[in-house]
Amino acid sequence: MSKTPALETRQLVYAVDGKTILKGIDLRVEYGEVVGIMGASGSGKTTLLKCLCGLLKPTGGEVWVEGVNIAPLSERERMPMRLRLGIVFQYAALFDFLTVYQNVAFGLERHRRLSQQQIRAIVRERLEWVGLENVEHLYPSQLSGGMRKRVGLARALAMDPHIVLFDEPTSGLDPVNAYQIDRLITRLNRELNLTAVVVSHDVVSLMRTTHHIAMVDAGQIIAEGTPDAIRHSEHPKVQAFLKMASAEAL
Amino acid sequence: MREELVWLDEEVRRPTNPLQASLEFVGALGLLLFASGRALLQGRIEVRETLHQMAFIGAASAPIVALTSAFTGAVVTLYSASLLVDVGGGGFVGGAIALAMTRELAPILTGIMVTARCGSAIAAQLGTMKITEQVDALRALAVSPIQYLVIPRVLAALAMFPLLCMIANFSGVGGGWVVANAFGISANSFLQSIRLLTEPFDLIGGLIKTLVFALIVTLVSCQQGLGTRGGAAGVGHATTRAVVLSMVLIFAANYFLADLLFATR
Repeated sequence: MSKTPALETRQLVYAVDGKTILKGIDLRVEYGEVVGIMGASGSGKTTLLKCLCGLLKPTGGEVWVEGVNIAPLSERERMPMRLRLGIVFQYAALFDFLTVYQNVAFGLERHRRLSQQQIRAIVRERLEWVGLENVEHLYPSQLSGGMRKRVGLARALAMDPHIVLFDEPTSGLDPVNAYQIDRLITRLNRELNLTAVVVSHDVVSLMRTTHHIAMVDAGQIIAEGTPDAIRHSEHPKVQAFLKMASAEAL
Repeated sequence: MREELVWLDEEVRRPTNPLQASLEFVGALGLLLFASGRALLQGRIEVRETLHQMAFIGAASAPIVALTSAFTGAVVTLYSASLLVDVGGGGFVGGAIALAMTRELAPILTGIMVTARCGSAIAAQLGTMKITEQVDALRALAVSPIQYLVIPRVLAALAMFPLLCMIANFSGVGGGWVVANAFGISANSFLQSIRLLTEPFDLIGGLIKTLVFALIVTLVSCQQGLGTRGGAAGVGHATTRAVVLSMVLIFAANYFLADLLFATR
Protein backbone atom coordinates (compact mmCIF):
# COMPACT_ATOMS: atom_id res chain seq x y z
CA MET A 1 0.00 0.00 0.00
CA SER A 2 1.36 3.39 -0.99
CA LYS A 3 2.08 5.92 1.75
CA THR A 4 0.39 8.75 -0.10
CA PRO A 5 -3.34 8.05 -0.27
CA ALA A 6 -5.16 8.26 -3.60
CA LEU A 7 -7.60 10.74 -2.10
CA GLU A 8 -7.81 12.47 1.23
CA THR A 9 -9.92 15.21 2.77
CA ARG A 10 -8.93 17.07 5.91
CA GLN A 11 -11.59 19.04 7.79
CA LEU A 12 -13.43 19.61 4.51
CA VAL A 13 -16.12 22.27 4.74
CA TYR A 14 -18.53 23.32 2.01
CA ALA A 15 -21.04 26.09 2.66
CA VAL A 16 -23.29 27.95 0.28
CA ASP A 17 -25.80 30.74 0.89
CA GLY A 18 -25.22 30.54 4.63
CA LYS A 19 -25.98 26.79 4.69
CA THR A 20 -23.15 24.47 5.70
CA ILE A 21 -23.48 21.25 3.70
CA LEU A 22 -20.19 19.59 4.71
CA LYS A 23 -19.00 20.14 8.27
CA GLY A 24 -15.38 19.06 8.59
CA ILE A 25 -15.09 15.78 6.68
CA ASP A 26 -11.96 13.66 7.16
CA LEU A 27 -11.77 10.82 4.65
CA ARG A 28 -8.90 8.74 3.31
CA VAL A 29 -8.98 6.51 0.22
CA GLU A 30 -6.01 4.23 -0.40
CA TYR A 31 -4.91 3.03 -3.84
CA GLY A 32 -6.74 -0.11 -4.99
CA GLU A 33 -9.53 0.41 -2.49
CA VAL A 34 -13.25 0.78 -3.18
CA VAL A 35 -14.71 3.20 -0.64
CA GLY A 36 -18.43 3.71 -0.24
CA ILE A 37 -20.02 6.92 0.97
CA MET A 38 -23.44 6.07 2.32
CA GLY A 39 -26.18 8.39 3.45
CA ALA A 40 -29.72 9.54 2.95
CA SER A 41 -30.71 12.04 0.28
CA GLY A 42 -29.57 15.53 1.22
CA SER A 43 -26.91 14.28 3.63
CA GLY A 44 -24.14 15.89 1.57
CA LYS A 45 -22.62 12.83 -0.08
CA THR A 46 -22.86 14.11 -3.69
CA THR A 47 -21.44 17.47 -2.57
CA LEU A 48 -18.55 15.54 -0.99
CA LEU A 49 -17.99 13.67 -4.28
CA LYS A 50 -18.00 16.93 -6.25
CA CYS A 51 -15.46 18.44 -3.84
CA LEU A 52 -13.27 15.33 -4.21
CA CYS A 53 -13.07 15.77 -7.98
CA GLY A 54 -12.77 19.54 -7.88
CA LEU A 55 -16.14 20.32 -9.47
CA LEU A 56 -16.94 22.29 -6.30
CA LYS A 57 -14.45 24.50 -4.53
CA PRO A 58 -14.49 23.82 -0.79
CA THR A 59 -15.00 26.78 1.52
CA GLY A 60 -12.66 25.27 4.09
CA GLY A 61 -10.26 22.40 4.70
CA GLU A 62 -8.15 20.44 2.24
CA VAL A 63 -8.73 17.96 -0.58
CA TRP A 64 -5.66 15.94 -1.54
CA VAL A 65 -5.68 14.11 -4.87
CA GLU A 66 -2.61 11.91 -5.33
CA GLY A 67 -0.56 14.14 -3.05
CA VAL A 68 -1.76 17.53 -4.36
CA ASN A 69 -4.07 19.77 -2.36
CA ILE A 70 -6.59 20.93 -4.96
CA ALA A 71 -8.71 23.06 -2.60
CA PRO A 72 -6.90 26.36 -3.25
CA LEU A 73 -6.44 25.77 -6.99
CA SER A 74 -8.35 27.69 -9.66
CA GLU A 75 -10.62 26.00 -12.22
CA ARG A 76 -7.82 26.17 -14.79
CA GLU A 77 -5.22 24.76 -12.38
CA ARG A 78 -7.51 21.85 -11.50
CA MET A 79 -7.86 20.73 -15.14
CA PRO A 80 -4.74 18.46 -15.30
CA MET A 81 -5.80 16.72 -12.08
CA ARG A 82 -9.17 15.88 -13.62
CA LEU A 83 -7.46 13.79 -16.29
CA ARG A 84 -6.38 11.42 -13.50
CA LEU A 85 -9.94 11.06 -12.23
CA GLY A 86 -12.92 9.47 -13.91
CA ILE A 87 -16.42 10.48 -12.87
CA VAL A 88 -19.56 8.50 -13.49
CA PHE A 89 -22.54 10.79 -12.95
CA GLN A 90 -25.85 9.79 -11.39
CA TYR A 91 -27.76 10.04 -14.68
CA ALA A 92 -24.63 9.34 -16.78
CA ALA A 93 -24.56 12.95 -18.10
CA LEU A 94 -23.82 11.74 -21.62
CA PHE A 95 -23.64 14.52 -24.22
CA ASP A 96 -27.02 14.04 -25.83
CA PHE A 97 -25.99 15.63 -29.15
CA LEU A 98 -23.15 13.12 -29.63
CA THR A 99 -23.23 9.40 -30.39
CA VAL A 100 -21.97 6.77 -27.96
CA TYR A 101 -18.68 6.62 -29.91
CA GLN A 102 -18.23 10.39 -29.83
CA ASN A 103 -19.04 10.45 -26.09
CA VAL A 104 -16.42 7.82 -25.23
CA ALA A 105 -13.85 9.35 -27.61
CA PHE A 106 -14.50 12.92 -26.37
CA GLY A 107 -11.63 13.16 -23.88
CA LEU A 108 -9.22 11.14 -26.03
CA GLU A 109 -9.68 13.44 -29.04
CA ARG A 110 -8.88 16.48 -26.93
CA HIS A 111 -6.15 15.32 -24.58
CA ARG A 112 -4.28 12.45 -26.22
CA ARG A 113 -2.17 12.59 -29.36
CA LEU A 114 -3.67 9.48 -30.95
CA SER A 115 -4.66 8.52 -34.47
CA GLN A 116 -8.34 7.96 -35.25
CA GLN A 117 -7.55 4.24 -35.54
CA GLN A 118 -6.04 4.14 -32.04
CA ILE A 119 -9.00 6.09 -30.63
CA ARG A 120 -11.42 3.69 -32.32
CA ALA A 121 -9.58 0.73 -30.75
CA ILE A 122 -9.69 2.27 -27.26
CA VAL A 123 -13.39 3.14 -27.55
CA ARG A 124 -14.22 -0.44 -28.66
CA GLU A 125 -12.16 -1.90 -25.82
CA ARG A 126 -13.75 0.30 -23.14
CA LEU A 127 -17.22 -0.48 -24.42
CA GLU A 128 -16.35 -4.18 -24.31
CA TRP A 129 -15.15 -3.79 -20.72
CA VAL A 130 -18.58 -2.53 -19.74
CA GLY A 131 -20.32 -5.23 -21.78
CA LEU A 132 -21.55 -3.12 -24.70
CA GLU A 133 -21.14 -3.92 -28.36
CA ASN A 134 -22.54 -2.43 -31.57
CA VAL A 135 -23.87 0.67 -29.86
CA GLU A 136 -21.24 3.15 -31.10
CA HIS A 137 -23.59 4.75 -33.61
CA LEU A 138 -26.52 5.20 -31.19
CA TYR A 139 -27.43 8.43 -29.41
CA PRO A 140 -27.94 8.46 -25.61
CA SER A 141 -31.69 8.87 -26.05
CA GLN A 142 -31.76 5.47 -27.78
CA LEU A 143 -30.23 3.68 -24.78
CA SER A 144 -31.78 2.23 -21.63
CA GLY A 145 -30.86 3.67 -18.20
CA GLY A 146 -28.45 0.79 -17.48
CA MET A 147 -26.77 1.13 -20.86
CA ARG A 148 -26.36 4.88 -20.38
CA LYS A 149 -24.62 4.30 -17.05
CA ARG A 150 -22.30 1.78 -18.66
CA VAL A 151 -21.47 4.20 -21.48
CA GLY A 152 -20.80 6.85 -18.80
CA LEU A 153 -18.39 4.39 -17.15
CA ALA A 154 -16.73 3.60 -20.52
CA ARG A 155 -16.27 7.35 -21.11
CA ALA A 156 -14.69 7.73 -17.66
CA LEU A 157 -12.41 4.73 -18.24
CA ALA A 158 -11.31 5.89 -21.70
CA MET A 159 -8.77 8.27 -20.20
CA ASP A 160 -7.16 5.52 -18.04
CA PRO A 161 -7.95 7.29 -14.77
CA HIS A 162 -6.21 6.30 -11.55
CA ILE A 163 -9.38 6.84 -9.54
CA VAL A 164 -13.04 6.57 -10.55
CA LEU A 165 -15.80 8.33 -8.64
CA PHE A 166 -19.32 6.94 -8.94
CA ASP A 167 -22.35 9.05 -8.06
CA GLU A 168 -25.32 6.78 -7.26
CA PRO A 169 -24.30 4.12 -9.83
CA THR A 170 -27.34 1.92 -9.21
CA SER A 171 -30.09 4.47 -8.63
CA GLY A 172 -33.02 4.16 -10.99
CA LEU A 173 -31.92 0.71 -12.16
CA ASP A 174 -33.79 -2.58 -11.81
CA PRO A 175 -32.10 -5.21 -9.56
CA VAL A 176 -30.58 -7.08 -12.52
CA ASN A 177 -28.98 -3.96 -14.01
CA ALA A 178 -27.91 -2.77 -10.55
CA TYR A 179 -26.23 -6.13 -9.93
CA GLN A 180 -24.42 -5.90 -13.27
CA ILE A 181 -23.08 -2.45 -12.42
CA ASP A 182 -21.91 -3.71 -9.01
CA ARG A 183 -20.15 -6.67 -10.62
CA LEU A 184 -18.53 -4.31 -13.10
CA ILE A 185 -17.12 -2.12 -10.30
CA THR A 186 -15.81 -5.19 -8.46
CA ARG A 187 -14.30 -6.66 -11.64
CA LEU A 188 -12.57 -3.39 -12.59
CA ASN A 189 -11.17 -3.08 -9.08
CA ARG A 190 -9.92 -6.66 -9.12
CA GLU A 191 -8.56 -6.77 -12.67
CA LEU A 192 -7.25 -3.20 -13.07
CA ASN A 193 -6.62 -2.45 -9.38
CA LEU A 194 -8.90 0.55 -9.90
CA THR A 195 -9.38 2.86 -6.95
CA ALA A 196 -13.03 3.87 -6.62
CA VAL A 197 -15.30 6.00 -4.49
CA VAL A 198 -18.94 5.01 -4.67
CA VAL A 199 -21.55 7.44 -3.38
CA SER A 200 -24.87 5.71 -2.85
CA HIS A 201 -27.85 5.21 -0.60
CA ASP A 202 -28.15 1.64 -1.93
CA VAL A 203 -26.91 -0.33 1.07
CA VAL A 204 -27.03 -3.73 -0.67
CA SER A 205 -24.89 -2.42 -3.52
CA LEU A 206 -22.34 -0.80 -1.18
CA MET A 207 -22.08 -3.93 0.96
CA ARG A 208 -21.16 -6.07 -2.04
CA THR A 209 -18.79 -3.68 -3.84
CA THR A 210 -16.81 -1.75 -1.22
CA HIS A 211 -13.90 -2.44 1.14
CA HIS A 212 -14.65 0.49 3.38
CA ILE A 213 -17.81 2.53 4.02
CA ALA A 214 -18.25 6.01 5.51
CA MET A 215 -21.74 6.94 6.64
CA VAL A 216 -22.53 10.63 6.11
CA ASP A 217 -25.31 12.35 8.00
CA ALA A 218 -26.03 16.09 7.97
CA GLY A 219 -22.62 16.85 6.45
CA GLN A 220 -20.57 14.77 8.89
CA ILE A 221 -19.14 11.26 8.88
CA ILE A 222 -20.87 9.55 11.76
CA ALA A 223 -19.46 6.05 11.27
CA GLU A 224 -16.90 4.32 9.10
CA GLY A 225 -15.31 0.93 8.68
CA THR A 226 -15.55 -2.28 6.70
CA PRO A 227 -19.00 -3.29 5.42
CA ASP A 228 -19.18 -5.78 8.30
CA ALA A 229 -18.26 -3.14 10.88
CA ILE A 230 -20.95 -0.83 9.49
CA ARG A 231 -23.49 -3.64 9.50
CA HIS A 232 -22.77 -4.20 13.21
CA SER A 233 -22.38 -0.53 14.13
CA GLU A 234 -24.29 0.46 17.22
CA HIS A 235 -24.74 4.06 16.12
CA PRO A 236 -28.52 4.63 16.23
CA LYS A 237 -28.59 6.59 12.94
CA VAL A 238 -26.61 3.87 11.14
CA GLN A 239 -28.92 1.21 12.50
CA ALA A 240 -32.00 3.22 11.53
CA PHE A 241 -30.64 3.76 8.02
CA LEU A 242 -29.78 0.09 7.55
CA LYS A 243 -33.19 -0.97 8.83
CA MET A 244 -35.00 1.42 6.51
CA ALA A 245 -32.78 0.37 3.60
CA SER A 246 -33.37 -3.35 4.16
CA ALA A 247 -37.13 -2.77 4.53
CA GLU A 248 -37.04 -0.85 1.25
CA ALA A 249 -35.06 -3.64 -0.42
CA LEU A 250 -37.77 -6.13 0.53
CA MET B 1 -10.86 35.46 -11.80
CA ARG B 2 -13.24 32.69 -10.78
CA GLU B 3 -14.49 31.13 -14.02
CA GLU B 4 -16.81 28.78 -12.13
CA LEU B 5 -18.92 31.75 -11.03
CA VAL B 6 -20.34 31.71 -14.58
CA TRP B 7 -21.99 28.32 -13.92
CA LEU B 8 -23.17 28.80 -10.36
CA ASP B 9 -23.84 25.77 -8.22
CA GLU B 10 -27.43 24.50 -8.12
CA GLU B 11 -27.48 25.21 -4.36
CA VAL B 12 -26.92 28.95 -4.84
CA ARG B 13 -30.26 30.69 -4.50
CA ARG B 14 -31.39 33.08 -7.23
CA PRO B 15 -31.58 36.62 -5.79
CA THR B 16 -35.13 37.88 -5.27
CA ASN B 17 -34.13 41.53 -4.97
CA PRO B 18 -34.16 43.11 -8.49
CA LEU B 19 -31.05 45.21 -7.78
CA GLN B 20 -29.14 42.15 -6.56
CA ALA B 21 -30.37 40.16 -9.59
CA SER B 22 -29.22 42.94 -11.95
CA LEU B 23 -25.81 43.06 -10.29
CA GLU B 24 -25.50 39.27 -10.53
CA PHE B 25 -26.37 39.43 -14.25
CA VAL B 26 -23.89 42.23 -14.99
CA GLY B 27 -21.17 40.48 -12.97
CA ALA B 28 -21.72 37.10 -14.61
CA LEU B 29 -21.83 38.66 -18.09
CA GLY B 30 -18.61 40.56 -17.40
CA LEU B 31 -16.92 37.38 -16.14
CA LEU B 32 -18.08 35.47 -19.20
CA LEU B 33 -16.85 38.19 -21.55
CA PHE B 34 -13.47 38.26 -19.82
CA ALA B 35 -13.15 34.47 -19.70
CA SER B 36 -14.19 34.16 -23.36
CA GLY B 37 -11.66 36.77 -24.44
CA ARG B 38 -8.91 35.01 -22.51
CA ALA B 39 -9.92 31.56 -23.79
CA LEU B 40 -9.99 32.88 -27.34
CA LEU B 41 -6.49 34.30 -27.03
CA GLN B 42 -5.01 31.27 -25.27
CA GLY B 43 -6.87 28.18 -26.31
CA ARG B 44 -7.63 26.20 -29.37
CA ILE B 45 -10.81 26.64 -31.37
CA GLU B 46 -13.33 23.82 -31.64
CA VAL B 47 -13.58 23.98 -35.44
CA ARG B 48 -16.26 21.31 -35.90
CA GLU B 49 -18.52 22.85 -33.25
CA THR B 50 -17.96 26.35 -34.66
CA LEU B 51 -18.96 25.20 -38.18
CA HIS B 52 -22.02 23.49 -36.74
CA GLN B 53 -23.02 26.71 -34.97
CA MET B 54 -22.38 28.75 -38.14
CA ALA B 55 -24.87 26.54 -39.95
CA PHE B 56 -27.37 26.89 -37.12
CA ILE B 57 -27.03 30.65 -36.56
CA GLY B 58 -26.33 31.63 -40.15
CA ALA B 59 -27.66 29.32 -42.84
CA ALA B 60 -30.76 28.22 -40.94
CA SER B 61 -31.66 31.81 -39.96
CA ALA B 62 -31.25 33.25 -43.47
CA PRO B 63 -34.78 32.46 -44.78
CA ILE B 64 -36.56 33.99 -41.79
CA VAL B 65 -34.30 37.08 -41.80
CA ALA B 66 -34.90 37.50 -45.56
CA LEU B 67 -38.66 37.10 -45.19
CA THR B 68 -39.12 39.53 -42.27
CA SER B 69 -36.80 42.08 -43.87
CA ALA B 70 -38.66 41.92 -47.18
CA PHE B 71 -41.98 42.64 -45.48
CA THR B 72 -40.44 45.38 -43.34
CA GLY B 73 -38.92 47.04 -46.42
CA ALA B 74 -42.28 46.73 -48.15
CA VAL B 75 -44.28 48.30 -45.32
CA VAL B 76 -41.80 51.16 -44.81
CA THR B 77 -42.01 51.87 -48.55
CA LEU B 78 -45.79 51.71 -48.37
CA TYR B 79 -45.84 54.60 -45.87
CA SER B 80 -42.96 56.63 -47.31
CA ALA B 81 -44.07 56.28 -50.94
CA SER B 82 -47.65 57.29 -50.21
CA LEU B 83 -46.33 60.47 -48.53
CA LEU B 84 -43.44 61.29 -50.88
CA VAL B 85 -45.30 60.64 -54.14
CA ASP B 86 -48.03 63.10 -53.02
CA VAL B 87 -45.48 65.89 -52.53
CA GLY B 88 -43.53 65.04 -55.68
CA GLY B 89 -40.71 63.29 -53.90
CA GLY B 90 -41.22 59.82 -55.43
CA GLY B 91 -37.66 59.94 -56.69
CA PHE B 92 -36.34 59.73 -53.11
CA VAL B 93 -38.20 56.59 -52.06
CA GLY B 94 -35.42 54.15 -53.02
CA GLY B 95 -32.80 56.15 -51.16
CA ALA B 96 -35.00 56.53 -48.10
CA ILE B 97 -35.68 52.82 -47.83
CA ALA B 98 -32.03 51.91 -48.51
CA LEU B 99 -30.87 54.35 -45.83
CA ALA B 100 -33.39 53.02 -43.31
CA MET B 101 -32.48 49.41 -44.05
CA THR B 102 -28.68 49.73 -44.03
CA ARG B 103 -28.39 51.96 -40.97
CA GLU B 104 -31.23 50.70 -38.78
CA LEU B 105 -33.71 48.10 -39.89
CA ALA B 106 -31.45 45.36 -41.28
CA PRO B 107 -29.10 45.24 -38.25
CA ILE B 108 -31.99 45.41 -35.78
CA LEU B 109 -34.08 42.81 -37.60
CA THR B 110 -31.06 40.51 -37.80
CA GLY B 111 -30.48 40.92 -34.07
CA ILE B 112 -34.12 40.37 -33.15
CA MET B 113 -34.73 37.40 -35.44
CA VAL B 114 -31.54 35.62 -34.41
CA THR B 115 -32.32 36.29 -30.74
CA ALA B 116 -35.78 34.79 -31.16
CA ARG B 117 -34.55 31.82 -33.14
CA CYS B 118 -31.06 31.07 -31.82
CA GLY B 119 -30.70 32.97 -28.52
CA SER B 120 -33.61 31.03 -27.05
CA ALA B 121 -32.24 27.74 -28.40
CA ILE B 122 -28.75 28.43 -27.03
CA ALA B 123 -30.11 29.25 -23.56
CA ALA B 124 -32.38 26.19 -23.57
CA GLN B 125 -29.64 23.83 -24.76
CA LEU B 126 -27.01 25.08 -22.32
CA GLY B 127 -29.59 25.22 -19.52
CA THR B 128 -30.56 21.60 -20.16
CA MET B 129 -26.89 20.62 -20.27
CA LYS B 130 -26.38 22.39 -16.95
CA ILE B 131 -29.24 20.71 -15.10
CA THR B 132 -28.43 17.26 -16.53
CA GLU B 133 -24.79 17.62 -15.38
CA GLN B 134 -23.44 17.64 -18.96
CA VAL B 135 -21.60 20.90 -18.17
CA ASP B 136 -20.03 19.17 -15.14
CA ALA B 137 -19.20 16.20 -17.39
CA LEU B 138 -17.29 18.55 -19.71
CA ARG B 139 -15.36 19.94 -16.76
CA ALA B 140 -14.74 16.40 -15.48
CA LEU B 141 -13.16 15.60 -18.86
CA ALA B 142 -10.89 18.64 -18.41
CA VAL B 143 -12.67 20.59 -21.15
CA SER B 144 -13.63 24.17 -20.38
CA PRO B 145 -17.35 24.82 -21.03
CA ILE B 146 -16.31 28.29 -22.19
CA GLN B 147 -13.93 26.81 -24.74
CA TYR B 148 -16.36 24.16 -25.96
CA LEU B 149 -19.76 25.82 -25.63
CA VAL B 150 -19.33 29.61 -25.59
CA ILE B 151 -16.44 30.37 -27.97
CA PRO B 152 -17.87 28.44 -30.98
CA ARG B 153 -21.22 30.24 -30.60
CA VAL B 154 -19.60 33.66 -30.27
CA LEU B 155 -17.32 33.08 -33.28
CA ALA B 156 -20.16 31.68 -35.38
CA ALA B 157 -22.37 34.68 -34.56
CA LEU B 158 -19.57 37.16 -35.30
CA ALA B 159 -19.05 35.51 -38.69
CA MET B 160 -22.70 35.08 -39.63
CA PHE B 161 -24.41 38.26 -38.33
CA PRO B 162 -22.87 40.54 -41.01
CA LEU B 163 -23.84 38.03 -43.72
CA LEU B 164 -27.39 37.85 -42.40
CA CYS B 165 -27.47 41.65 -42.27
CA MET B 166 -26.46 41.78 -45.94
CA ILE B 167 -29.29 39.37 -46.76
CA ALA B 168 -31.65 41.60 -44.75
CA ASN B 169 -30.43 44.66 -46.68
CA PHE B 170 -31.05 43.07 -50.08
CA SER B 171 -34.41 41.59 -49.05
CA GLY B 172 -35.62 44.83 -47.44
CA VAL B 173 -34.66 46.98 -50.41
CA GLY B 174 -36.10 44.31 -52.74
CA GLY B 175 -39.39 44.30 -50.83
CA GLY B 176 -39.43 48.10 -50.98
CA TRP B 177 -38.77 48.07 -54.71
CA VAL B 178 -41.79 45.80 -55.34
CA VAL B 179 -44.08 48.22 -53.44
CA ALA B 180 -42.45 51.30 -55.03
CA ASN B 181 -43.26 49.76 -58.41
CA ALA B 182 -46.92 49.64 -57.45
CA PHE B 183 -46.72 53.41 -56.76
CA GLY B 184 -45.40 53.97 -60.28
CA ILE B 185 -41.79 54.58 -59.26
CA SER B 186 -39.52 53.19 -61.96
CA ALA B 187 -36.63 50.84 -61.21
CA ASN B 188 -34.22 53.38 -62.65
CA SER B 189 -35.48 56.19 -60.40
CA PHE B 190 -35.45 53.80 -57.39
CA LEU B 191 -31.81 52.81 -57.98
CA GLN B 192 -30.80 56.36 -58.84
CA SER B 193 -32.05 57.65 -55.48
CA ILE B 194 -30.20 54.85 -53.64
CA ARG B 195 -26.97 55.98 -55.31
CA LEU B 196 -27.78 59.61 -54.47
CA LEU B 197 -28.75 59.26 -50.81
CA THR B 198 -26.58 56.44 -49.49
CA GLU B 199 -22.85 55.99 -49.16
CA PRO B 200 -20.70 52.92 -48.40
CA PHE B 201 -20.36 53.81 -44.71
CA ASP B 202 -24.12 53.42 -44.23
CA LEU B 203 -23.67 49.75 -45.09
CA ILE B 204 -20.42 49.38 -43.14
CA GLY B 205 -21.84 51.11 -40.06
CA GLY B 206 -24.83 48.75 -40.09
CA LEU B 207 -22.52 45.75 -40.34
CA ILE B 208 -20.43 47.05 -37.40
CA LYS B 209 -23.64 47.24 -35.36
CA THR B 210 -24.37 43.57 -36.06
CA LEU B 211 -20.99 42.56 -34.58
CA VAL B 212 -22.00 44.15 -31.28
CA PHE B 213 -25.44 42.51 -31.49
CA ALA B 214 -23.79 39.14 -32.18
CA LEU B 215 -21.78 39.47 -28.97
CA ILE B 216 -24.88 40.51 -27.00
CA VAL B 217 -27.07 37.63 -28.20
CA THR B 218 -24.50 34.87 -27.75
CA LEU B 219 -22.99 36.05 -24.47
CA VAL B 220 -26.35 36.77 -22.82
CA SER B 221 -27.83 33.47 -24.02
CA CYS B 222 -24.77 31.46 -22.95
CA GLN B 223 -24.65 33.23 -19.59
CA GLN B 224 -28.33 32.57 -18.93
CA GLY B 225 -28.01 28.94 -20.06
CA LEU B 226 -24.90 28.20 -17.99
CA GLY B 227 -26.39 30.00 -14.98
CA THR B 228 -29.58 27.90 -15.03
CA ARG B 229 -30.77 26.70 -11.65
CA GLY B 230 -33.96 24.95 -10.61
CA GLY B 231 -34.65 22.10 -13.02
CA ALA B 232 -36.96 22.24 -16.03
CA ALA B 233 -38.69 25.40 -14.80
CA GLY B 234 -35.26 27.01 -14.50
CA VAL B 235 -34.55 26.22 -18.16
CA GLY B 236 -37.81 27.93 -19.13
CA HIS B 237 -36.94 31.02 -17.07
CA ALA B 238 -33.40 31.11 -18.49
CA THR B 239 -34.74 30.96 -22.04
CA THR B 240 -37.23 33.77 -21.45
CA ARG B 241 -34.63 35.92 -19.71
CA ALA B 242 -32.10 35.31 -22.51
CA VAL B 243 -34.55 36.55 -25.15
CA VAL B 244 -35.83 39.54 -23.16
CA LEU B 245 -32.41 40.71 -21.96
CA SER B 246 -30.83 40.27 -25.40
CA MET B 247 -33.56 42.31 -27.07
CA VAL B 248 -33.43 45.10 -24.49
CA LEU B 249 -29.64 45.26 -24.73
CA ILE B 250 -29.78 45.25 -28.54
CA PHE B 251 -32.15 48.24 -28.57
CA ALA B 252 -30.06 50.10 -25.98
CA ALA B 253 -26.79 49.35 -27.81
CA ASN B 254 -28.40 50.36 -31.09
CA TYR B 255 -29.07 53.87 -29.78
CA PHE B 256 -25.49 54.37 -28.63
CA LEU B 257 -24.04 52.84 -31.80
CA ALA B 258 -26.28 55.03 -33.98
CA ASP B 259 -25.07 58.05 -32.05
CA LEU B 260 -21.44 56.96 -32.37
CA LEU B 261 -21.53 55.89 -36.02
CA PHE B 262 -24.08 58.09 -37.76
CA ALA B 263 -25.03 61.13 -35.65
CA THR B 264 -22.32 63.36 -37.07
CA ARG B 265 -22.70 62.19 -40.67
